Amino acid sequence: MTSPTDPGQAPPQRLPHRLYDADGNPTTDRPWIFRTYAGHSSAAASNALYRKNLAAGQTGLSVAFDLPTQTGYSSDHPLALPEVGKVGVPINTIDDMHQLFEGIPLAEMNTSMTINATAMWLLALYIGVARERGEDVRKLQGTTQNDIIKEYLARGTYIFPPEASLRLIAEMYEYCLDNLPKWNASNICSYHLQEAGATPAQELAFALANAIGVLDTIRERGAVPPERFPDVVGRISFFVNSGIRFIEEMCKMRAFVELWDEITRDRYGVQDPKQRLFRYGVQVNSLGLTEQQPENNAWRILIEALGVTLSRKARCRALQLPAWNEALSLPRPWDQQWSLRLQQILAYETDLLEYPDIFDGSVVIESKTEELKRQAREEIARIEAMGGIRAAVESGYLKSQLVRSMSERVSKINSGELVIVGVNRWTEGLPSPLLTGEDGGIFKVDEAETRRTLEALAAVKANRDPARVQAALAALEEAARTGKNMMEPSIECALARVTTGEWADTLRRVFGEYRPPTGVEGQRLYVDSDRVAEVRRRAEEFVRRTGHRPRIVVGKPGLDGHSNGAEVIAVAARHCGFDVVYSGIRLTPEEIVQSAIEEAADVIGLSILSGSHLDLTRQVIEGLRAAGAGDAIPVIVGGIIPKDDHEALRALGARQIFTPADFDLADVMSRIMDVVEAQAGAGAR
Amino acid sequence: MSELDQLVEGAIALDKWPLARLVRLFEDTRPGAVAEKAAAIAALEAHGAAPRAMVAGFTGTPGSGKSTLVGQLAARLAAREAAAAVAVLAIDPSSHRSGGSILGDRTRVHFPVGERRLFFRSQPSDRELGGMGRATYPVVRLLERLFDYVFVETVGIGQSEVEIERLADRVYLVLQPLGGDQVQFMKAGIMEVPHAFILNKCDVGAAARRSYHALRASIDFARPGEAAPPPIFRTSAISGEGLDDVLDDLAAHRSVRDAAGRQAR
Repeated sequence: MTSPTDPGQAPPQRLPHRLYDADGNPTTDRPWIFRTYAGHSSAAASNALYRKNLAAGQTGLSVAFDLPTQTGYSSDHPLALPEVGKVGVPINTIDDMHQLFEGIPLAEMNTSMTINATAMWLLALYIGVARERGEDVRKLQGTTQNDIIKEYLARGTYIFPPEASLRLIAEMYEYCLDNLPKWNASNICSYHLQEAGATPAQELAFALANAIGVLDTIRERGAVPPERFPDVVGRISFFVNSGIRFIEEMCKMRAFVELWDEITRDRYGVQDPKQRLFRYGVQVNSLGLTEQQPENNAWRILIEALGVTLSRKARCRALQLPAWNEALSLPRPWDQQWSLRLQQILAYETDLLEYPDIFDGSVVIESKTEELKRQAREEIARIEAMGGIRAAVESGYLKSQLVRSMSERVSKINSGELVIVGVNRWTEGLPSPLLTGEDGGIFKVDEAETRRTLEALAAVKANRDPARVQAALAALEEAARTGKNMMEPSIECALARVTTGEWADTLRRVFGEYRPPTGVEGQRLYVDSDRVAEVRRRAEEFVRRTGHRPRIVVGKPGLDGHSNGAEVIAVAARHCGFDVVYSGIRLTPEEIVQSAIEEAADVIGLSILSGSHLDLTRQVIEGLRAAGAGDAIPVIVGGIIPKDDHEALRALGARQIFTPADFDLADVMSRIMDVVEAQAGAGAR
Repeated sequence: MSELDQLVEGAIALDKWPLARLVRLFEDTRPGAVAEKAAAIAALEAHGAAPRAMVAGFTGTPGSGKSTLVGQLAARLAAREAAAAVAVLAIDPSSHRSGGSILGDRTRVHFPVGERRLFFRSQPSDRELGGMGRATYPVVRLLERLFDYVFVETVGIGQSEVEIERLADRVYLVLQPLGGDQVQFMKAGIMEVPHAFILNKCDVGAAARRSYHALRASIDFARPGEAAPPPIFRTSAISGEGLDDVLDDLAAHRSVRDAAGRQAR
């Protein structure tokens, strides 16, 4: 091919369907970063997994931490013990972090960490590892998720109240600006909002209002000089969901790009178009993945991946795909590899990366995008009128909007208005050969790894310099109280071998802990059928017979904060005539027992998604007996519970077990009513 | 010993499970339950469990932070008075359509597990107008024989303040700082009942100060000629500010009441 810069040649004709580089040479795009959300058991086991994934062609790391690490407890805390290593890697001290990244040069890696309330701590540990290894800290690249708003709304791993949480985020931006210029201090997440039920317009509005909240906070603090502020704006990145309605999802991405350009220009006066780019990573939707006929999820994942890659203008920077069997259990390495191969085929086999945006000029796409933008602008204006994102969280407005959207979605699935193949249509299928392997197609954490983690923690505590630990923690507390930036004191804590629990406890003392509104109050469910009426009739009959309305205590024991399932059950039970004591998330089994006892509940509904269902259910049932209630209050359990465990749960005393396959709320409520009636028949008042 | 006797003895010992079941009996508003309730009262009398509690009503608009405040007041009171037992009865509205309810106040109250001197119970309003249900009165009549303090928390929407006045020795109206003027306080139409006002969420700063003065002016306007204007307490659940002032007020009025002999309600 002739070079276009050759003198004496006619200027080459640019073809609209080709891509050209800055010099006018035809080119193709580089692929996005391929990631897999991974981590489990222990630092050593996760390190082995990362090295295997990188060898398989993955180009970045996405670290999943376990719930204790995410909520600021060391592995040896009683609340932590059942959860160590379950949904991610446990990190207690800098030595765990050394182990996690052994053999992986940090300066050359792009590392994304799904960490929020304790994000400052994990970044401090990461920097600490780089310093101790002698690597160039300024070269560190990656992202700490660090979006507290969506934790309050959907994900549940918050610790501190909003003001303190936003301060932690702002201080990380301020620190990274000069010290880690390539680090994304936070990632504004709309992913979890969609999982919690958000419509595309809500997802756009809530995420953008959230980003505005972060930037306004940083601007008001005044620690960043005005001329450097556009650099901060340029570091804002997003983490977005991609659902099954993939045309609409693609339009949502285009709307994000255009709205963010608008906001950064008009609200923050950013001149450089590069700093106005909507930079985003994607995890495609796990909510829509089904337990029934799980092999169908492979197609869903493919389609959802197209939604965020087809349009060049709105293509993601990094992509994580879930595994086909995530509704059954945590994925196995093979399941993750299968998803990675999808990305590689899309990027390297197809011609996707050879073209400019293939939707430019489409009247349909443009109109749809404009409609989403209009709806999002209206919602952003509403939030601004309430006093911004923080006020809208604290008043419960955002949460109640999400719970409502979720209730509507569930209602539509129940009525069949929303078709889900294999769930409410074409439900008869042949048995899946994918599930008949030796392990039943699911992954189980090796309990022995927990012991190794605890031993490592004990060893670090025994061998560190206690005076340095005390001094580091005192300096951290001093900074927290006086308003000084807490990053350097946190790094010193890391180097001094402070533990995750010690770091978080110090800040808990200063800032206190926070419980956001649950959003379930005042919600209605739009499921009306003869079967719902039948459950209500039975509830009224129960009132006549026993003198009180059936009363259910709904609670989430343990650290897992994904509360959508529990919320839907709470709303549905009220809809069916129950009095519902909803006590929210992150409860100890003892607290749930006390609620049920004090309320003289007729049934306890536990929601557990973390894989700790056996331990937690046992603790609740034993707690009831210890409190003198014997087996008078029946316990039912819902969550991601593998078939293999059903028998063990029943043996412990669970009277009913619900899994994602039980989407029909009238049926769920009817089965709960069965349990309540059977118990009332069995015992006296 | 009969089952009822067992429940009564357990409840007097503040053992939570028998206590909770006894509360359930007093929630039963069917005519058939009357005799059993009378028997329970007789058994309580026989054990010397006479009415003794100071009953405080806390009412206010949704969002005023009532639940958190009431929970903290109860926990702090139990910590201040080593012998005091405190019960909280929190009332939430029922759905008129299904009869069911979401009783969400527990989310915001975290009592130490296993502490007998603190007891929390939720109650639906049971399709009644106003903030209280048919079962509220009987349950308070039970709890006041078992505890030193009974806190009743209701949603204030105009009617319930009048009802709670019949039930409680002292009524507090909990408000949150408003951005606006005194008209917003007036609109509620609930200024005349409470013995004292609590301006909660006073960590909000300037808004709280403005609201304090607006509220002061509103009270003077709504209740002219009162010899001693009702107090306004400024509280914050985050900092703990003002909580002891409310408890001092409660203790002072308890002494006055006890000195005067128990008033007929």
